[in-house]
Amino acid sequence: MSAPVIWILVPFISGILILLFFSERYSSLAGGSISIILALTALIFPIDTALLLGAISLKISSSVQFFGRSFALTTADGSLLVIIYGLSALWFFGTQASGIANRFVSLGLMIVALLTASIAVEPFLFAALLLEIAAMLVIPLLVLPFQKPGRGVVRFLIYQTLAMPFILFSGWMLAGVEASPGNIGTTTQVGIMLGLGFAFLLGVFPLYNWIPMLMEEASPYATGFLLWALPTFTVIFALGFLDRYTWIRNSPQLSSAIQYAGIFMVVSGGFFASLQRHIGRIMGYAAIVETGLLILAMSLKSLEVVNITFLLLIPRGFVLALWALSLSIIKREAYSLRFSEIQGLARTYPLAVTALILAHLSMTGFPLLAGFPSRIALWQELAGQSLTIAFWMIMGMFGLLIAAVRTLAVFVMAEDGKAWALNESWIQMIMLGVGASGLFILGIFPQILQPLLTNLPALFNHLGQ
Amino acid sequence: MLILISCLLLFITALALVVLRVMLPNTQYAWLVALGGAILALISVFSWLAQMPFELIMPAWQPTTAFVNPILFRADGISWPFALSIKALTLTVLLTAVARPFFANSYAWVGTLIIGGLGVMAVTANNPLTLLLVWGALDITELFIYLRSADGPTNNEKVVTSFSTRALGMGLLLWVNIVNFSQGSTFEVIAPSSGLYLVMAAGLRLGVLPLHLPYSSESTLGRGLSTSLRLISAASSLVLLVYIPAGSLGSVLTPFLMALAIIAALYGGWNWLRAPDELTGRPYWIMGISALSVISALSGNPLGAIAWGCALVLVGGALFLASVQQAWLNRFLLVGAFSLSSLPFSLTASAWLGKLSFFIPFVIIAQAILMAGFIRHALRPGGRDSLESQQNWSRTVYPTGILLLIIIQLLLGWMGWDGARQIGAWLQAVIVSTLAFVLVWATPRLRILNPIRAHWVNPTTSRLSTIYQDLWTIIYRGFGRISQTITLTLEGEGGIMWTLLFLVLFVSLLTQGTP
Repeated sequence: MSAPVIWILVPFISGILILLFFSERYSSLAGGSISIILALTALIFPIDTALLLGAISLKISSSVQFFGRSFALTTADGSLLVIIYGLSALWFFGTQASGIANRFVSLGLMIVALLTASIAVEPFLFAALLLEIAAMLVIPLLVLPFQKPGRGVVRFLIYQTLAMPFILFSGWMLAGVEASPGNIGTTTQVGIMLGLGFAFLLGVFPLYNWIPMLMEEASPYATGFLLWALPTFTVIFALGFLDRYTWIRNSPQLSSAIQYAGIFMVVSGGFFASLQRHIGRIMGYAAIVETGLLILAMSLKSLEVVNITFLLLIPRGFVLALWALSLSIIKREAYSLRFSEIQGLARTYPLAVTALILAHLSMTGFPLLAGFPSRIALWQELAGQSLTIAFWMIMGMFGLLIAAVRTLAVFVMAEDGKAWALNESWIQMIMLGVGASGLFILGIFPQILQPLLTNLPALFNHLGQ
Repeated sequence: MLILISCLLLFITALALVVLRVMLPNTQYAWLVALGGAILALISVFSWLAQMPFELIMPAWQPTTAFVNPILFRADGISWPFALSIKALTLTVLLTAVARPFFANSYAWVGTLIIGGLGVMAVTANNPLTLLLVWGALDITELFIYLRSADGPTNNEKVVTSFSTRALGMGLLLWVNIVNFSQGSTFEVIAPSSGLYLVMAAGLRLGVLPLHLPYSSESTLGRGLSTSLRLISAASSLVLLVYIPAGSLGSVLTPFLMALAIIAALYGGWNWLRAPDELTGRPYWIMGISALSVISALSGNPLGAIAWGCALVLVGGALFLASVQQAWLNRFLLVGAFSLSSLPFSLTASAWLGKLSFFIPFVIIAQAILMAGFIRHALRPGGRDSLESQQNWSRTVYPTGILLLIIIQLLLGWMGWDGARQIGAWLQAVIVSTLAFVLVWATPRLRILNPIRAHWVNPTTSRLSTIYQDLWTIIYRGFGRISQTITLTLEGEGGIMWTLLFLVLFVSLLTQGTP
């Protein structure tokens, strides 16, 4: 058995089977269990290493050929697969609590499989194509059958599609740059092409306006999943670029451009979040801020680039899942997520509101919560390079804090004498409880992620050297 | 390790109470369990003296290359008096619980123990990262406790506002942490340029800089839990003032901050003096004493902040927890006036060893008003229950709790920290005491000094908060319009064209510097 078959083909086919044969009730359990099994397999069985179980020798080979292209997952990818499928399991188990249809699990599994393929494919530029296919598969998640797609969905698809030609074109030009690195004109053109491609993919300012629009018009859980999955794999793809091409790493202009793009996303996202009156849009802007932080981490001229990027990525998946789940529960009660509709809901949905606020505070970098250690690590590196950037990052977080405080104030504004009541179902309580506890555990003991982080720098040999 | 033991004793006791409440809801021993834990915790703090100074370094966050600063606690002459005061307050809350109308195993005791444990962790925190984590825990705990008990939209909003101002204070401490990453990991090595940020961080959390009321006057929480929450939370912020580097006080901002702190002290003192009862006046007591602490630190005497911090907890705690009428106990409470007076060998004798220069008269007035307010509230007999109806054992236990805080006030004045047992600025103290007694004498005689009637006090809104709210609305509306214009442009029909235009603009700006 080869690694790409296990971690790409199996989940993809499982997704199809779940769509065809599983009822809504069991799809969540099936999808979550498959993801957990895949994560555990990645944790227990190292790729390309013979494992003796009594008389039986097991070895997962690392690559497979498909239409002349190679898909390879190496030993170093093991930790990455654990993270990806572990977080996917969290999302899939949460679907039942969020109350969205079984299409989520099946399409979700297929999307994750395609995105995993994007990190395994050789030549790696084909990742852009796989990312585009994954983006297309997201559409049925966001738009219900027979429903007219909203403007946010259309814009999302336009921007993701525009990204592909830029990346492919830059890849073609990169061959020329490698041949004659002294040609500054070509280098600049490639830099711009590549920058534009990733700007479209990651939704860099001002290309992120589809995110709040989507949060307003589509299911928060499905959009949350999209906001977790696509940027995560795009960041890994971008790290791959940084790792392969020395001139990108060493170009001061490109490095500054990445840093400015990141900080601009953090500040503008925080600013807009602080002024919203729709808690879905606030989550959208928080996701933008988080992507900005990832871009900032990638711009660091430090040995810690990979560590800090993944320190940000793991809690991000956790926090977004919890936030999206809470929003889904609240949306079922309030129908709209506008401030006027959710006033006083803390008394009737205390656990969902608590989880939402904790997730939001975690994104602001509130001490003790999951987002805090990664931000501290990022600040530490930034402080050594530019205190101004570190200051603007605080300003972005401050914007998110204002949004959190306003949201909380609206939630708790119940009329006099309104009694507390638990209206969440058991499964919702369990999922929210686990999520909220996880936030504290990751915030107090970030070292529990260390076993996963240890091998990740091996994926990017040149970064940080 | 001793620090951990002291805190764990309280946390484990809290856990035991929760287990007892769930498994054996009718058990009679819950109070004894709580009391036992609190007594052991207090004794454990005394045991620190044998080894002080010592540190507790928690397991490092990993990867270690990404996290330079460890989570570090330290027991020394600064943290010990604070820790002792907090433990004593926790024990007193439990001892005086016998005289409360609802005496049963409740989550209030659990809350008191947890807050006590977190308080000790806060005062022993020895670097900004550690203090940020403990503040985070305290603030989240406080937020949930208050939101659970607050009723009505305005009270709830007040709780959220107070949480947000404290979070802002955390933001300032975070900035200090960022600026000092390269300096080292402890408060002792903080750069002088960061000193005033520390003052502002503490001031913001305490309601002193800028002047605001961080707590609501009204609370439906029990007297014990609300007292421990407010006083311990304030002490956890005051401890920051002790670490202000001396070099930072030469800033041009120092006199300005000093003036703001004096305004806060006078405002807090005046409202405390005229408050209808001690619980209504409690937020002003905290504001007033905290402001004196800030003044003391800004005058170049950071150790004075220890004195005021301990006075806030011990003197205030004794008064706020004394809910039962007993003539001899009321007279004992007046020891608190001595502790506040800065007279030789009192708790606050070392408070004014710094340079106050032309601020001295204002400081004297503020301190005298606060002291007069304390005496008035301590001697005020009305509205308190009597111990007559209580059982014999509770008649003994209850005063023991109050006496414990009074004894520790005297004890700390003698041996609290390096620099305690001082003659101090005795002349200033004599003037303060005289003025305070004049004010107490004049209170019933001068109409302006008469207490405000209880029904005149608006518990939820004050003129101050209205000013801040109006200011916020103006700023918010201005930014809101800008944000709406950008959003409408980018998300409207022509959004994609606008977006691409902006993109081209950015690319041309960024490539301008390329050779």
